[in-house]
Amino acid sequence: MIEFRNVSASYVAEHALLKDVSFTIGKGEFVAFVGTNGAGKSTTMRLCNGLLKPMAGAVLVDGKPTTELKTSELARKVGFLFQNPDRQICCSTVRDELEFSFKAQGKLDDAARAKVDAAIERFGFDPDAEPYLLNRGTRQLLALASIIVTEPPVIILDEPTTGLDYLECVKVMEVIRDLHEQGHTVIMVCHDMEVVADYADRLIAMTRGSLVAEGPTDEILRNREVLSRADLIAPQCISIAQALCNRHPELKATAIANARTVEDLVAAIEEIRGASPCAGAANASAGTDAANGAVLPGASSSQEVR
Amino acid sequence: MIEVKNLSFTYKEGSAPTVRDVSLSIPDGQFVGITGAAGSGKSTLTYAFNGIIPHCYPGDFYGSVLIDGKDTVETSLTDISRMVGSVCQDIDSQIVSSVVEDEMLYGLENFGVPATEIEPRMDEALDAMGISDLKYCNIASLSGGQKQKVAVAAILALRPRVLVLDEPTAELDPASSHAVFALLRDYASKRGITVIVIEQKIALMSEFADRLIIVKKGGILLDGTPAEVLENAELLQAEGINCPRATSLGNELAKRNLYAGPACRNVADALRACEIALGFEAAGANDAQAKLGAPSPAEGGQA
Repeated sequence: MIEFRNVSASYVAEHALLKDVSFTIGKGEFVAFVGTNGAGKSTTMRLCNGLLKPMAGAVLVDGKPTTELKTSELARKVGFLFQNPDRQICCSTVRDELEFSFKAQGKLDDAARAKVDAAIERFGFDPDAEPYLLNRGTRQLLALASIIVTEPPVIILDEPTTGLDYLECVKVMEVIRDLHEQGHTVIMVCHDMEVVADYADRLIAMTRGSLVAEGPTDEILRNREVLSRADLIAPQCISIAQALCNRHPELKATAIANARTVEDLVAAIEEIRGASPCAGAANASAGTDAANGAVLPGASSSQEVR
Repeated sequence: MIEVKNLSFTYKEGSAPTVRDVSLSIPDGQFVGITGAAGSGKSTLTYAFNGIIPHCYPGDFYGSVLIDGKDTVETSLTDISRMVGSVCQDIDSQIVSSVVEDEMLYGLENFGVPATEIEPRMDEALDAMGISDLKYCNIASLSGGQKQKVAVAAILALRPRVLVLDEPTAELDPASSHAVFALLRDYASKRGITVIVIEQKIALMSEFADRLIIVKKGGILLDGTPAEVLENAELLQAEGINCPRATSLGNELAKRNLYAGPACRNVADALRACEIALGFEAAGANDAQAKLGAPSPAEGGQA
């Protein structure tokens, strides 16, 4: 679906911001890019939808290089939600904003209007409201709705939850999860490791314009070496599970080793206590065979890049 | 010292007060975290600390805000900004220069800082934010997070007595967010600077702030140490404020009578709660409790 082949890119010719980056994102994947500020994550996103063209190498969308595709063709395939919704919203009513892409494509027919109506209904928007008078969370939802209303197969989200409170964040992420379940490819830049752990299937970690590692979310978030190289902090539950296993090596053979959520940890603790209510810890140390598939934290099959 | 007495504020175009009858006292050197759902009045409350209300936004202002004994209504905005340094939520609206060094110089020169002090102060602030290498960069070429660091550094260089920061880490990566909070804690505890931060990142505030204030509909819902505030997990949840996962874990263990200590503020607290639940502490199997310096819960580890 989207393939980077040895891509280098930059905004100013002499200074390469992205250096020799290669990866492939398949149809229907939910991939999150994580890493430090200035690592090149947003630049990578801009390359995906052709806002920026590579200086060297090639970015292929459905097998075609972005340099050979028209921006309008790319926009139909790859929807892009910017970091700041105010950079995106350009119309004076919610309905106009939602119809904007269809108008730009010359396709504002009855079917399109029906899609706009469905979006208004789904998000609970007031169609006549002025976008700039809405609060930040609603503006973010409007920007997201105006992207997904045309149903592009690939949706790129640059920090979709920044500046939102918890309930707004959950609302936005649930919409994104639905899109992924409907078969859309979702590519997201996100700094919130809890959100990343809850929603993304695969992570690509970047630092200073290069990839550090890519792999299943859980493996990357448990790989201390990758986390340290990309300057990332594991979600709290994974940190707690790993610290428990480090301090009490006998727990590595229990479900605690693989715990990812609060529920996982509570269930694992109850299970260990249930097995030996008086001395849970002692019981854990007795069962150190690999029957329950425990893995060492840090031992990982994720593919490291250089 | 900041003293807020019965403050209410209604924007000129607003029909109801955005801040309602708030009274607060913030001693020097305290690190205060403020959070609440969108539209709860958090930002407006900070506008009261830095004088933006009533000086910039018209409206009905009742009560008083005293910064070091000076009433913000009677003090000019210039004089307030010498005491209170602010970082806005929208960084682009704060940055005035096109090169990082110029942005740093803007405040220092306008405040009449002696020429010999300018360079060291600038370098110190850039270093504190970990962006010394960006000094000569064009701001347009920086990422969102890098710009945010520049905005914070420019304010730190002015060395205000009070720092008011509206979501200063919204666009920062996790490690930088952590570093900024650790830095702010040091500014508060070592230099006696009062730090007021508005954030959605309750996990970071719980870990670093001395005090947590939860705002609801313009009023104060909860005010206390992070551990005290996090005791009210269900109330927070009902207000759309997500407790740190470490807190939720501690609370779930407590519900099952596996842990009975104070609310967990961070990973270290939750780790200890898990050890108690697993019976490690009861058996005296390790020194976790001593290391973490926490009081021993009565029935820890007993089934």
